[in-house]
Amino acid sequence: MGMLDGKIALVTGGRGGIGRAIVARFLREGAAVYAADLTDGGSLPDLAHDDSRFLRLDVSREDEAIAAMDRVRAEHGQLDILVNAAGIEIEKTIEETTLEEWNRSFAVNVTGTFLTSKHALPLMRKAAQCNSSASIVNFGSYDGFLADPGLAAYCATKGAVHALTRAMACDHGPEGIRVNAICPGYVDTPMLQGFFAGEGSGGGGKTIDQLQQAVRDVHPIRTYGTPEDIANLVNWLASDEARYASGQLWVLDGGLSAQVQQMKL
Amino acid sequence: MRLQGKHAVVTGGRQGIGRAIVEAYVREGAKVLTCGRGARPHGLDPAIGWQTLDVSCPQAVGAVAQAIDEIDILVNNAGVQIEKTVTESTDSDWDLVMGTNARGVFNLCRAFIPKMGHGGAIINIGSISGRVADPSMALYNASKAFVHGLTRSIAVDHGPAIRCNAICPGWIETGMLDAGFALASDPEAARADALARHAGRRFGKPEDIAAMAVWLATDEAGFATGQLFTVDGGLTAASPLRPELF
Repeated sequence: MGMLDGKIALVTGGRGGIGRAIVARFLREGAAVYAADLTDGGSLPDLAHDDSRFLRLDVSREDEAIAAMDRVRAEHGQLDILVNAAGIEIEKTIEETTLEEWNRSFAVNVTGTFLTSKHALPLMRKAAQCNSSASIVNFGSYDGFLADPGLAAYCATKGAVHALTRAMACDHGPEGIRVNAICPGYVDTPMLQGFFAGEGSGGGGKTIDQLQQAVRDVHPIRTYGTPEDIANLVNWLASDEARYASGQLWVLDGGLSAQVQQMKL
Repeated sequence: MRLQGKHAVVTGGRQGIGRAIVEAYVREGAKVLTCGRGARPHGLDPAIGWQTLDVSCPQAVGAVAQAIDEIDILVNNAGVQIEKTVTESTDSDWDLVMGTNARGVFNLCRAFIPKMGHGGAIINIGSISGRVADPSMALYNASKAFVHGLTRSIAVDHGPAIRCNAICPGWIETGMLDAGFALASDPEAARADALARHAGRRFGKPEDIAAMAVWLATDEAGFATGQLFTVDGGLTAASPLRPELF
């Protein structure tokens, strides 16, 4: 018996680092899963992936969101779970960020969450009528609460997702649709490894291994997260066990943001 | 002068933040009574009242309140810190930290709220440590979170007559800060690292906190109540993880 037996789920960014782990977990829990992404390989094209149904989706395009939901409607008639995991990160201050980069960040991280959710709602209402509840899980970030240096547009998009999550929970709670956001800290993904590679080759003089260890050491639990850690909570929020959970921002960061900056004393 | 004719009580006015608040209030025209566990400090302006007082003692606090005719502004600044984890902390550590930082604020508020008229202002000194954890400061962190919670309760229960807010200072240049750096293996490197973590590239001065304490006491802050105002030079706006400082 899986926690999601019989449920229909769609995960955007479903071929990416965290999205792929969510898709795999949902399949194990008995859901029928659409992995929506730009390409079938997503950000990890060289890795084998599961047999979830790939659904081509650029979340920033409304026509593609509509087409994606048309396919779900034709094949299942309803959608129980939507996970808005697609996201991009531009590592720049606002002064360095071009208008095009800024708009692209918002198009994927914020508008993508808006468009996919908007067009999923009719299908999710159907699911809620049958099963009493449907669940949307958005991707915020601890960066929506605290600033990482040189990550301005990303921080702003995640703050927007947090506010959107509460708004959606208020508006659609009466229809049986729960909406929550997961706010990950440092998680081992292509996004994080790209960040390590960028910093490691910089002026700090540290190798990538040393940099990874230093990042682990700052965490109270002395490690950064895995995509599976995030999938554990997404799975719970998607399941009926979380039927009273809505409108909340769930920080999952190994204790990182519970502490003040750690001075070298 | 923004506090002309106001009567203020400020706890812990011997030194540091409390002393800066006392002096700022006097500059703004307030009549100030301050207190501390010891005798009147040398060099304190004769116009400033001094009361030897342990804020953790309810009877002593009650007696001071009895003797006072007027109070418009109460600043709960007196505080102590002990650098220990939960398992290291003794019962007497609990009594000292919670007695002063938590029970002391309660004692003062309970004794003085009935004496404050409409338009009274209470300013509690909380801390960023009540919002995010400083390592090995378990009781201190918890005592400041108590202050934050009590601040909201007083604002809700005793408004509209009384406004109650808390200031959450970050790292403020006091004797305590210098002593901390002196213990580091490389004091200069420690200071440079800590400075780099502040967006303003400096630590706070007691006057920075006093400036907010003045504003919160004035009628300009008439719509501000029940809130925590962080003044930390940007320290807690940034992530605890700063790869550029590894």
